[in-house]
Amino acid sequence: MVSRAKIKELMNESACSHSKEKKPGEGCDKPKPGLATGGCAFDGAQISLFPYADAVHLVHGPQTCLGASWETRETKTSYLGRDHTQMGFTTGITTNDVIFGGDKRLSNSIDYVMEHYKPEAIFVYSTCVTALVGDDIDMTCKLGSQKHKIPVVPVHAAGFVGSKNLGSRLAGEAVLEHLIGTKEPEYTTPYDINLIGDYNVTGDMWQYLPLFEKIGLRVLSSMSGDGRVGDIRTAHRAKLNVIVCAKSLITLTRKMEEQYGIPWISVSFYGKRDTSFAIREIVNALGDLELITRAELVIAQAEEELETALTPYRQLFAGKKAVLNTGGNKAWSIASSLQDLGIEVVATSIAKSTQDDIDKAREYLGKDGVLMTKPASEQGKIIDSTGAHILLAGGRSLYTAIKKKISFIDVNQEKKTSYGGYSGLLNLAEDLKYAFRNPVFANVGKPAPWEVN
Amino acid sequence: MEFSLTHKEHKPLQINPIKHSQPMGATLAFLGIKGCMPLMHGAQGCASFTKVFFTRHFNEPIAVHNTSVSDLTAVLDGGDYSILMAIENIQNKEKNLTPSMIGLHTTGLTETKGDDVRSVGTHIEIPYVFVNTPDYEGGMESGWSLTVTAMIEQLTQAVTYIQPNTLVLLPHVSMQPIEVEKIKALCEDFGFETYALPDLSTSLDGYWEAGQGKLSNGGIRVDEIRDLATSSFVISIGASMKKSALALQKKNPLIEHIHFDHLMGLDANDNFVGKLMEIRHIAPNAHLKRWRARLQDAMLDSHFLIGSSHFVITGEPDMLTGMCALIRSVGGTVDAAVSTTFSEVLHTIDAQKVFVGDLEDAREFFDGANMVISNFHSERILHSYPNTALVIRGFPNYEELGNQLKNDQLYEGSAYFLFEIANVLRKVKHEH
Repeated sequence: MVSRAKIKELMNESACSHSKEKKPGEGCDKPKPGLATGGCAFDGAQISLFPYADAVHLVHGPQTCLGASWETRETKTSYLGRDHTQMGFTTGITTNDVIFGGDKRLSNSIDYVMEHYKPEAIFVYSTCVTALVGDDIDMTCKLGSQKHKIPVVPVHAAGFVGSKNLGSRLAGEAVLEHLIGTKEPEYTTPYDINLIGDYNVTGDMWQYLPLFEKIGLRVLSSMSGDGRVGDIRTAHRAKLNVIVCAKSLITLTRKMEEQYGIPWISVSFYGKRDTSFAIREIVNALGDLELITRAELVIAQAEEELETALTPYRQLFAGKKAVLNTGGNKAWSIASSLQDLGIEVVATSIAKSTQDDIDKAREYLGKDGVLMTKPASEQGKIIDSTGAHILLAGGRSLYTAIKKKISFIDVNQEKKTSYGGYSGLLNLAEDLKYAFRNPVFANVGKPAPWEVN
Repeated sequence: MEFSLTHKEHKPLQINPIKHSQPMGATLAFLGIKGCMPLMHGAQGCASFTKVFFTRHFNEPIAVHNTSVSDLTAVLDGGDYSILMAIENIQNKEKNLTPSMIGLHTTGLTETKGDDVRSVGTHIEIPYVFVNTPDYEGGMESGWSLTVTAMIEQLTQAVTYIQPNTLVLLPHVSMQPIEVEKIKALCEDFGFETYALPDLSTSLDGYWEAGQGKLSNGGIRVDEIRDLATSSFVISIGASMKKSALALQKKNPLIEHIHFDHLMGLDANDNFVGKLMEIRHIAPNAHLKRWRARLQDAMLDSHFLIGSSHFVITGEPDMLTGMCALIRSVGGTVDAAVSTTFSEVLHTIDAQKVFVGDLEDAREFFDGANMVISNFHSERILHSYPNTALVIRGFPNYEELGNQLKNDQLYEGSAYFLFEIANVLRKVKHEH
């Protein structure tokens, strides 16, 4: 079971920058009825663990939880076996289970999964209903684990405990408690790192992993993009934890530092400057001179190649101005990428950002950049006053672009290509090229014949 | 595994499910009411998943709010607090938001804790409709029809007279916006003033304007729902909608109820058009006659390809029934008709196997099939079956565009659908 004490602890993460400004015990905001929009804790837990393609993800709950959420994320894997990430497994409990308990169904489901799919592990997610009726998921998982000789990991992140972010933290707790430290790696190197928080959406990780290989960094395990359950079990032997663009797993890395003495750093691989900076941070943290030298060579070469490839785009983008309206770390990470392409970012939204993100946004945009707190009402005026050429925002802002007759990119839409690393910048440049060229937003908003005068 | 049509489950879990939940059907039904604020009573994730699901299917902003039940309110609150707080918070935040109605429906969570959502209504000044839709019972189709029934029971005023030549259409959940519009138009061509409940044809049909996404954009008006019992006819399409039609008849026994299990293929539409002719004593217009001839032509042109092909079809019971009938009418063999949930209407399907299941079950039949008609989730699985074609129908269709404009109903839609199937079949059968 998940205890209130654990949730309280997670909601007051000392390593979080915004915890410092809150009163003691206040912690993260609880969802307010009517106003909560994002996903629930279960959603967050699932997102954090789903990328383990060698494990089956079994959702113990009624139909909505999995029925509406499976196969919705483009998390890529290189796993050669059956890709369980893109499959949906649910006990789909019925009225009977609500009345008499769903433990029997869960245990039979675990047996069924083992008989037909033989995964490396099973993650069992509790949900609101099964948590409320009090199914003993811990015990069922424990027995399943003993019977089938694989980890069967209970994940206690029922939707009602909180937001998506909290769910990711709870997933981290489950991995720490049940997997990390349960297996020894075949060998170790002084350059072993864990990647935490990159889910390899659209293959983001694959944009920078080849560079790691050239430098001589070894990814011992990943939580959880292109990850393997067998690897995360050995994560306690890594020399460094690298958090990629994810505040939610800070608790995990802080605890790993306390338990296993593994230091951690937080980096981003969006844009040229951030990618180079990230690589330097990692090799400096490991502190090996040879590694640092090699990294500098790799960075220099990659940056040079990138510069050459970007030249034609730079000419195309010269003098272009952009307004960015997106949440969280994207507020500055996409801004950084746009600037790397020679586009001036005149405004970005900080409506949903943490203090860290706001500081970074200010740093990237400079003193003249506008940090929008109410982007929906501000962005139109800013486009007018700055003469911005493009709006990068979620689908709801489409109407602003049509009204202002400027280009538009839906940054929240499910992407098919990665914008990560050096090469991802070229993908972004290509998308921008076509966006600037596209007259659709000016064309579509023309008045109908019956609307003229 | 033995696949047969029973109430019993044949395994303890679902793998690659096709079933969708009752709350999702309820949300969708409320989205067909103009200015409605669908309010999902559950944890915030229930609404978030539903919103993403429909946003990707329709490519439209989807208005869904939720009461974000937390661990504390799950135990201490009987529903009043979170529902009333949700409404108050939304109104404080969006000062100019004036919902025509609040459509409240429950979820597994709030049904398990047993909230009394009926009594909350006495504290709400806006028109309020509640419906109990636990997601551990039924499916999307039943969630939709329960919601339609609830709206009729709670909003529509009982009367003892009827207006001549007025008609209420009750479409089942799987009908896309354009399909509702076409059926409405046909009834109007016969001289009926026609109302659809719900009416997705004017709310999720791909129309854009500013400020979308907070309330339902279009659909039937609340005052129109109030007056529905003055209609002279109610036409239910899909077995799931029968109960809703009976609920309307209870408000006024003078209303004549006409039911069709589906409107796909020649037979079903001949019955439908025949019935309208009988009521109105008029012949159909030239347009409709023309479409019947075109459907006949489509049946003849496509019968060879379809008649020599094997199909696996998955979907909600009412959609499945229509598809199987149309394909059988031109000689196609349905190896497996896989339904999301149980319904009596499944007994009418002419297929080798008819059962309630998931895509793991359906997959058993993929090898022997030339074509699978199923939702988006079959696409990835079919990558392993290069000789089996796919036509995507039903919820969800995340990747294809223009889902709201896909019409498979009436003479016209059936003709297009047959041609679409035949053309896709041609690629796997003759091109390698």
